[in-house]
Amino acid sequence: MAVIDFIINSILTQASITIALIAFAGLLLQRKPFGEVMSGSFKTMLGFLVLSAGSSIIVGSLLYFGDIFSEGFGMEGIVPSIEAINGQAMNDLGLANQIALTFLAIFIFNILLARLTRWKYIFLTGQALLWMATMTTVFGSAAGLSGIGLILAGGLVGGIFAVAMPAIAQPIVKKITGTDDIALGHFCTIGYMFAAGIAKMTGKNSDSTENIKFPKGLGFLSDTYLSVAIVMVPLYVVTSIFAGAEFGTELSGDVNYIVYAFLQAVQFVVGVYVLLSGVRLLLAEIVPAFRGIALKVVPDAKPALDCPVLFPYAPNAVTAGFITTTIGTVIAMFVLPWFGLAMILPGMLTNFFAGGTAGIFMNAVGGKRGVLIGGIAHGFFITLLPALLVPHFNSLGFVNTTATDVDTVTAGLLFEWLIHPIMNLFA
Amino acid sequence: MLFFKRKRKEKDAKSEMQQEVKKEHLSEQIEEYLSKLENAEKEDEIPILNMLGSLYFEMEDYDHAITYYEKSIDQNKALGKAFTDLVKLYNMKRKEASKAGDREAVQVYLQKSDDLMKLTKDTIRGNM
Repeated sequence: MAVIDFIINSILTQASITIALIAFAGLLLQRKPFGEVMSGSFKTMLGFLVLSAGSSIIVGSLLYFGDIFSEGFGMEGIVPSIEAINGQAMNDLGLANQIALTFLAIFIFNILLARLTRWKYIFLTGQALLWMATMTTVFGSAAGLSGIGLILAGGLVGGIFAVAMPAIAQPIVKKITGTDDIALGHFCTIGYMFAAGIAKMTGKNSDSTENIKFPKGLGFLSDTYLSVAIVMVPLYVVTSIFAGAEFGTELSGDVNYIVYAFLQAVQFVVGVYVLLSGVRLLLAEIVPAFRGIALKVVPDAKPALDCPVLFPYAPNAVTAGFITTTIGTVIAMFVLPWFGLAMILPGMLTNFFAGGTAGIFMNAVGGKRGVLIGGIAHGFFITLLPALLVPHFNSLGFVNTTATDVDTVTAGLLFEWLIHPIMNLFA
Repeated sequence: MLFFKRKRKEKDAKSEMQQEVKKEHLSEQIEEYLSKLENAEKEDEIPILNMLGSLYFEMEDYDHAITYYEKSIDQNKALGKAFTDLVKLYNMKRKEASKAGDREAVQVYLQKSDDLMKLTKDTIRGNM
């Protein structure tokens, strides 16, 4: 009995070990050689611990940012970062085990739904599944679910999203690629469909973006870490100036308060870098193991791949969508506080990937004019939805941040607006 | 009913013949481009490699199509038909492997798709 107690209370409560065990099971099921099973499981554990370290760095920087922003502007400034939400949920809310098991449950529900329904999509973008597992776990737990119920509810909702989103996007993906063999697996699909709808209405007979010649030199904006730095550094520095030397020095000690703000902004980027390295390490072993199994169980499945799968079909539309979406997010940043919502700072990473992919969707149905108008609307939309979640995140104890990726945000809102009230009825 | 059957047989035979002719024509074109490739300067190879990839794809010789498209992308990472055809080809090969129960090959083609996706991101960044 004591041994079982020890295993349950001291080992399985350690999320890094649970995650390593999930990878272990997946690699065993794939009948990998013993050496690979062991190294894969260990690397998965290592990945989780690296992720936790990155999360601590991000939280430290965001706490500082929250302080200077409140002092400088008398309101909240929210950094949209699903990575930060994931890190804080795993580290500070103690939900890591549940997130890991929900992640596994989403995989299983995805396979079951693909096998049993006519939506034959297997979602292969591991990172997006991890973000979805994070959101369903956080909001499922806030709605009052726990234990196996929490994992099954999150798994089912996530599994439905994993087959439904590629299915919803497929008619336009088919139009873009000219084939029905591959699908899009990216949890920003509701935004793509919204943007495509606007583009279709506004862009009749407009010429394709592929006839535009863009000047080169925007590339640096699409670099993952540089793009975060480009937003965060001016933001931290300007905010610290507004907060003033007196307040700034209280936080910065001996270091000049502006230099300190600059270093804190860079610290945020370091946090994202470390956290994403952890995620990569974590998923590198689990995802190949499980997707191999999934495609064996559903051999006629359409693989739903990450958004760059569409980039070669309309590279100019990627650039155009990125630019117009960014304009939309900047407009939303200033407009939303008028309506009593938090000020959401533009997330350049989301703007590049979601904006770029939305650009391809919009170009396919509405050409240049569609991308221009639809892109601005898209930027506004992907800022509005996370803004709606901010009060809920605040009440759950998240530090100055909100989720990105509108499908995961929608899953969170689904729990908050639908499942939470139902749970309250039975409480 | 018998009449319909005969008609279908005739139709099948006709389309088989058409296929034969098409394949013969494709083979000729492939030969032509292979000899062009042998004599081409390094900087002129890319359109020939792409053409060979495309012709082999049409011939349904997917392994050769992959080889030539991969060579083309190795030399020049410009987005275009080589990228989009390779996504389709990897998926076809993955499907075949999946049906045959060949786990190793499934992983190989999934990994190739992942690598291609990464290359696509990097190429877009370089082009912006």
